[in-house]
Amino acid sequence: MNNHVLKTMTGLALAFALLPLAAPAQEARSGQSRPTPRYPDGSVNLGAAPGEVGHWNTGTGNLSENFVEMDGAFLVNPDDIDKVAPFRPWSKALVQYRLDSLGRDDPHPKCLPNGGPRQFHTPVGIEIAEARDRSKIFILSGGGPHSWRTIYTDGREHPSADDYDPSYFGHSIGHWEGDTLVVDSIHFNERFWFARRPTGMVHTDALHLIERISRPDYDTLHYEVTIDDPKAYTRPWTASWNIPWANEDIEEYFCQDYNIDVEHIVGPGGVE
Amino acid sequence: MKQHQYVKVALPLLMAFITADVVQAHHSFPAQYDIDKPATMSGMVTKVDWRNPHVYFFMDVTNADGSITEWSFELANVSAMRGRGWEKDTLQPGDLLEVSGSLARDGSPLLNATEIKRKDGEELLSSGSRL
Repeated sequence: MNNHVLKTMTGLALAFALLPLAAPAQEARSGQSRPTPRYPDGSVNLGAAPGEVGHWNTGTGNLSENFVEMDGAFLVNPDDIDKVAPFRPWSKALVQYRLDSLGRDDPHPKCLPNGGPRQFHTPVGIEIAEARDRSKIFILSGGGPHSWRTIYTDGREHPSADDYDPSYFGHSIGHWEGDTLVVDSIHFNERFWFARRPTGMVHTDALHLIERISRPDYDTLHYEVTIDDPKAYTRPWTASWNIPWANEDIEEYFCQDYNIDVEHIVGPGGVE
Repeated sequence: MKQHQYVKVALPLLMAFITADVVQAHHSFPAQYDIDKPATMSGMVTKVDWRNPHVYFFMDVTNADGSITEWSFELANVSAMRGRGWEKDTLQPGDLLEVSGSLARDGSPLLNATEIKRKDGEELLSSGSRL
């Protein structure tokens, strides 16, 4: 191994090691990236610039109101649970149970869709594709069951609960506030866990999300989500993180293809 | 800084990043594997499944009584493995390996392959399904 390789490895290792220190602030990088790409009318392009390819390299981010140290999908200090969100007693108890059972019952490994903010930290990437001629923005999700979510930008309102069956991605309507895409979503079902980290986060059919998505520079997507679910939480709360750009297309990935893990996910008790 | 000092500094930091900060499994690692039950075994590769959501390979491992058990070894997804320098033919049937990792909680012959070394000593960057 030559000196150049070793120096590069050291630099990479130090950069990676310092990432968690930078994460709490979760501020966009500056001075290291090309400017935010824009359409000819000046509005922000959340995808690749013309003639280029790329996607958002999801996998980062903790869904917590305050910074808590985490090891994978679990709290390093279990007492930090109250820093994650303003739980109601029942929802805190359920999250605690799911953490204690090591995420055993998560529907995601059974290849069910990654609804809510989980779409923005499931590995394998997302692509945000704005179809202006259709007044829709599609979020194409590489991970999990290789699914997509539709955000309507034609000015429509949410349908009534009587006219919409609760779904994994809910019903999303979006509009731009300056350079920020604001997405309002309701009508979620309860058949998924809506966060990757920490595992086990609880929501109900009352979940209302307000997501604010911006691109402060070419290589950074800033994702902020406000969770308003009065059945599960005592007040609305907000979490945010940055997602880096990757200069390559998302590879084909189907969780369903070879999902032989499921039968082995037994949790702390092992097999009776 | 001398070369071995770079190695001492860089490798542990890089591995700490790989194992602690980014988890690429589509399932909860500790729900499937027990990090407090490490194991190391040697054998011959019989099959490689270069597929998502996780790459698997299989080895025949000889037990103390001379019998043979086919063990399964889990790695990360295809894209993540390619990021670690792997290709679909990095491992091939007939390869002789020493593999270390965490045992499956359900007692089945399944290991999360965090360290892989060829018979000639070459180490393959792995860290199992945790990246």
